[in-house]
Amino acid sequence: MLRVPLNQILVIIVLSLVVGFFVNIIRSDSIPLLAKEMSITEDLDEISGEPVAISLLQAKTLFDKGVVFVDARGEEYFADGHIQNSWNSGFFMELMFKLDSAQTKSGLVVLYCGEDECGSSEELADDLYNEGFSKLFVFKGGWQEWNEAGYPVE
Amino acid sequence: MSNEMKNMMVMICRIFLGFMFIYASLDKIANPEEFAKQIGYYKVLPFGIENILGIILPWTELIVGVCLIAGLLVDGAALLSIIMMLVFILAISQAMLRGIDITCGCFKVSADSDKLGLDTIIRDIIFFVMSMIVLNRQERKFEFLPKSD
Repeated sequence: MLRVPLNQILVIIVLSLVVGFFVNIIRSDSIPLLAKEMSITEDLDEISGEPVAISLLQAKTLFDKGVVFVDARGEEYFADGHIQNSWNSGFFMELMFKLDSAQTKSGLVVLYCGEDECGSSEELADDLYNEGFSKLFVFKGGWQEWNEAGYPVE
Repeated sequence: MSNEMKNMMVMICRIFLGFMFIYASLDKIANPEEFAKQIGYYKVLPFGIENILGIILPWTELIVGVCLIAGLLVDGAALLSIIMMLVFILAISQAMLRGIDITCGCFKVSADSDKLGLDTIIRDIIFFVMSMIVLNRQERKFEFLPKSD
């Protein structure tokens, strides 16, 4: 018969809560209790800093300008179909060097994944931002919204 | 299996899981923002509460690890370990089923940490079984709070 030590669990959880919140208050890099959603940009020309989210129409505008699109989904999804001319993310270091040598770290990059509720494009954007890339757009609607709109795919 | 062997197995599980939890907590405690974002990429929590989990969970892992090694509240630590493994297995499975291609955030929160995969799930199932062995132990050896039999 398995033990169900509720009082012991309570002690450990309360201790974690107290220590966790206390350390978060006193540390210099403390974080807010609730995470903020990625902000959506109004002006595509005024981007420099943290990654921002863009709409389908903004993504299409950037696509027409020839901006690099990076597909953050797994290789098997990429092989099934992707936004025309987009790159598969593959290994992070490889992508980073490829982007850097193609257009430097201040070049525009659009990242996307499957649909609104996938986190891969956000993760890739944050990772690239941490490596010094400064003009990163996350197209949240992703492959699903682009494909449904009938925009160029391959 | 003799009682001595069983006790030895429980001790090995306790020490292994203990060090594993302590190791897993350190990078997360050092980088709470990165860890909270990592939780967010799984897209399972509403209202931005990944930050609250990012603040508390690494400390729970650290305390559970210390308890398992030091012989303190071992029942509670083992059951919490079981619960955490179940939650991790569910979170990873749903992400994989939805095709979310992200890094695990299990031990490291950096970009070069392991991607989610079947191996991640199998690893957590092994940890789950080890936690069950600890919770289901017949004898209490090297435990100090509550005291050993």
